[in-house]
Amino acid sequence: MNPIVSRRASLVTGAVGLTALVGIAATVWLGLWVTPPAVGMGNLVRLLYIHPPVAWVCYLAFGVATAASLAYLWPRTRSRSWDRLAGASAELGVVFAALTLVTGSIWGYPTWGTWWTWDARLTTTALLAVLYVGYLAIRKVPGSPHVVARRSAVVAVLAFVDVPVNYLSVYWWKTLHQTGTVLDPSKQLKVHGIMAWTLLLGFVSFTLAYAWILVQRYRVAALEDHRDSDGLTSAIAERIAEGAGSPTRGTPSAAPAPTVSTSPAAASLGGNGAGSLARGVSSELDGASSVVAK
Amino acid sequence: MPARRLWIAGLLIVAAIGFLVYKGLGNSLVYFRTVNQAVAMRAQLGTTAFRLEGDVVPGTVKSVPGGVHFDVSAGGDTVSVVDHGQPPQMFAAGIPVVLEGHFQSGTGGFVSNQILVKHSSSYIAAHPGRVKGDPTAA
Repeated sequence: MNPIVSRRASLVTGAVGLTALVGIAATVWLGLWVTPPAVGMGNLVRLLYIHPPVAWVCYLAFGVATAASLAYLWPRTRSRSWDRLAGASAELGVVFAALTLVTGSIWGYPTWGTWWTWDARLTTTALLAVLYVGYLAIRKVPGSPHVVARRSAVVAVLAFVDVPVNYLSVYWWKTLHQTGTVLDPSKQLKVHGIMAWTLLLGFVSFTLAYAWILVQRYRVAALEDHRDSDGLTSAIAERIAEGAGSPTRGTPSAAPAPTVSTSPAAASLGGNGAGSLARGVSSELDGASSVVAK
Repeated sequence: MPARRLWIAGLLIVAAIGFLVYKGLGNSLVYFRTVNQAVAMRAQLGTTAFRLEGDVVPGTVKSVPGGVHFDVSAGGDTVSVVDHGQPPQMFAAGIPVVLEGHFQSGTGGFVSNQILVKHSSSYIAAHPGRVKGDPTAA
């Protein structure tokens, strides 16, 4: 039934999705029930197992979107597949950027004492979300597929500049947001025991969930393109079939009809509006051939 | 009119980015001044609003009607602070805080409108004995 996904590929992605769901469920269980409260933060530490993994997936998704956009822009690797991948990954990146902002805000209120503040980390995160919402809007601006893909790819690459700025903002400038816990340049893990393992599980699970949804979204995009090109092929076949002349009003003077294989779609339309249109076309053809005969 | 729509979309995006950069980066690049920096440029700051960062000095926190008094220190300087409002639940002696407010005129202390708790990036179990193999369990 499915022209693009083989049974084996579908089983593999199903397994990835199942692992992601089990992993997230285990993260929630460990995060809420097994891990201890932390010094100072108490139970508020439990958002640690969600917020940094979600922010990491946001970086990863925009990274994949940018890499795919570069692959599209590079003439040797140019393919619509890269464009589809970039669009799918950027959509997920925006979702995870929103989740990063929401979970961060929920964490910020009880710990910092504010839902939002304009420090460099928070500002560049909001900017990142806005930039890629803009990218998704650019993808919807009409144009030929190639033009749309090229202009979106350029925007994706330009927007990605904000990702390293966002990551390094807590080191470059004074911020309320703390420096990195896991992705810290000093490579010194600052989380202990089972808390660190739960955090690691969170990172793995959310990354797998991203990969799973990305593949599904990519397949949907591929099917949409497939449907569009199929629609075009059958529309062309219909027009050719109409041009072939109608057998119900054949005239002796008509030139021999060109042999065209009629598509099922065109055949199913016979007898109603399309039929009368076909007759009109064939009478024009009759006139033309009679002129030729003279 | 695809070209016109593209221009409008582009202008909206540029305006949104411009707003964020102006609103955010404008004052977030100097998001706060540490106590010693603020003391050094006190004459220049006057009574203008800024954010002050320092550690809450243990033993100085006193609740007063409608607020709290405490000292903050950083880099060898100390400033006395009065805050009117509800401190966040994590507010405690010894922790780093960022205070939004201004100096009082003359040689007075710092008037804070909001206390923000600056959390470190370390997460240590509150009951280390419950975690096996925890190096902090001593």
